Formats: sequence, structure tokens, C-alpha cells
Amino acid sequence: MAARWLHRPAPGREGSAGAAAAPGATMAAALLLRAAAAWAARRAAGGAAGTARLLPPAAPARLPGTLAPVRHSSHGKRMFIIKATSFYDSRFLKLLRFYILLTGLPVAILITYVNIFIGEAELAEIPEGYVPDYWEYYKHPISRWIARYILDPPEKDYEKCMALLDVEAKKAEMRLMTLEARRLMRARGDGPWYHYETPDKNLTDDSFKSTPDN
Amino acid sequence: MPEDTDWEVYKAPPKRTPVGERATSLPNPVEFFQAVFNNVIDRPVTLIREWIERQQNRNKFYYYHQQFRRVPDVSECVEGDYLCFFEAEAQWRRDRMVDREIVAIVRERFAACQHREGPNQFQNCAKEMEQLLQVTKAYQDKYGDLGAHGNARTCLMKQNTAGFILVSGVQTRYCMGQL
Repeated sequence: MAARWLHRPAPGREGSAGAAAAPGATMAAALLLRAAAAWAARRAAGGAAGTARLLPPAAPARLPGTLAPVRHSSHGKRMFIIKATSFYDSRFLKLLRFYILLTGLPVAILITYVNIFIGEAELAEIPEGYVPDYWEYYKHPISRWIARYILDPPEKDYEKCMALLDVEAKKAEMRLMTLEARRLMRARGDGPWYHYETPDKNLTDDSFKSTPDN
Repeated sequence: MPEDTDWEVYKAPPKRTPVGERATSLPNPVEFFQAVFNNVIDRPVTLIREWIERQQNRNKFYYYHQQFRRVPDVSECVEGDYLCFFEAEAQWRRDRMVDREIVAIVRERFAACQHREGPNQFQNCAKEMEQLLQVTKAYQDKYGDLGAHGNARTCLMKQNTAGFILVSGVQTRYCMGQL
């Protein structure tokens, strides 16, 4: 009986307060005996070791079921605080930061390097007899790079635009001319359109219609 | 980012306030704050900027303002010559961009003069004001009521009608007896 009370300390103690009197007395007696035994053991060990009593013995006496005496030198008792989950929010923010910085950081580093170590171009007068390339009309080095390696030269774009316009102009002109030709052929009837070929009238044989009594 | 203004262009003339006599033996706190600012903020920033410019000066490169050849104007294009229209239109748009920049620069000069002179602006800034008036009037005459979709052709048409408006204006004023 006394041993069972000793080995399970906390729960249900307040429920059995009435029955705690007799086993409480035995428990106290047992505790006293254990403490005395531990003290005696310590003294014996201290005597056997001799003069070196710097460190305390390896297994100090403890109440059963406890880990260490409470000291309150750190943040107090560890609590399980019940609050709403922040798992989804923090996961979202982590993923957002990751995917933004995945390309954002390299781009930022590249742009910083270009601005510090390469720098912008200076404005100068066009030297005599020198025709600048089409990318040399931009100031920032990244704009120059894009104009040089990615985009087409503006002269090419201009000529392509003019070629398109030329094709469309010729098409419009041809359409107008065909309309005019049709109109004239319909009106005059002397062209290849707006008539059907009929067979030669000399090929028809009217002999069976030549007299009214056939 | 918009370009920083060129500080050398609108430099105010040097001030002519006389150097004051020291009346007390206490040190001037303004000098202390100036020294703090110079040593804590100005010197490090200047040193870093100079280092950056040394890195950039190792290989310099230049950019130029493009010069475009003049092409025949809209008024010299034959009807149906769409290529001529295209080139004249491109030239007219470039000219309009240049004119807008000119107006902006003249306006900026007038604003700088106003800021510099303060209460004397009406007397001392007369030249800039006159220049701004002329430039804006010229811009209005050329590009004024064309609207957002103005192009070289509408501008040409506007030039044709401008004469009529001027004449009719004169007529009405004559009729009303104010000439």
C-alpha cells in the first residue's frame, strides 16, 4: 500500500483527501527512512573516497517519478498554448518568398553588378565620318544589350513595315483595276468576261423548220 | 526613373551677403552640425561614389543622338503613294516629339528663373516669359487642335483651314467696327 502511493504521485490526490490521512503518515515515515538511508550512503561513500569530496555523488536522492527539482531560472513551466493554426499562412508566405526570390535575387544581383561595375554610357557628339551602330543610341548597358542581341535593328523594322505597305498598296491597286476592267467589259462587251461563247450559227440546221408544214 | 536635373545649367548667381562679425565667443552650432553631416554622411557617400566611378571609368563607352535624314513632307507626296505617306508621317512624329521637348525645356527655364528670383520674377524673368509665350503660341498654331490622333495629314488640313479662320475673324471684327 505504501509502496503504491510512493510510486504514483500527482493524479487523484485531491479526490482521496479523506483517505489520505493514514497512508499519508506511512508515506511521511517512508520518506524519512529513505532520506536517512541516502544520507548514510553518502557519508559512507564520502568516507571511502577519502579527501576528494569536490563533486556530489552521481545519483542524488530523488522522489520517485520526478526528473529534477524545479528552479524557475528559465522561462517557467512549458505550456501548450491553444491557438488557431498558422501552418497554412506560414507555408504560403514561405513559398511566396521562395518563388519571388528564386528569380528576383539573381536579377537584382545582375542589375546591381551592371550598374556599379559597367555603368551608363556618356553622351558624345558623333565623330566625323563615323556611323554609330544602332545600339549605340541607348544609354543604359542593359538596353544596349537588348537592342543589340534581342531586338531587330530599327532600320529593318522600318523596311519591313514599308514592304507590307507596298504589298497592300499593290493589292489595292490591282483590285481597283480589276473592278474598272469588269465595268468596262460589261459595258462594252468586247472583252473576255461577261459573255458566254455560243456555237456558230452557220452550224445550225434549220431545214426542218424551213417550211411551216413540218 | 526620370533624369536628375543638371545642376550646372540653372545655377543661381553667387550670393553677395557680407561675412558677419562674430559677436560672441560661443561656437556656432551650425558649424558643428555641418561638420557632423560632412563626416558621417557626405564623406563616406562621396568615397563610395568615387570608387564606383573608378570602376566604371576602366572601360568607357558612349551614346549618341541619332540624326535622321530629311524625307519629302506630306505636302510633297502624290495621292496613293503610301510609302511616301509613311515616311512623312514618321518624320512628322519625330518633329512633334522634338517640339514637345523644346516647349518643356523653355517652360523649365522659366520655372527655374521664377524660383531663383522669387518676388522679383515679374521684372527679371521677362525674357523667359516672352520666349515661353512665343514657343507655346507656335506649338499651339502647329499642333493645337489636332487631338490625340493627330497625324501629318490632319496637320496639313489644319494649315489649309487656318487661313480661312484668320480671314473670317478679320471680317467679323470689321463688321463689328472694332478694326
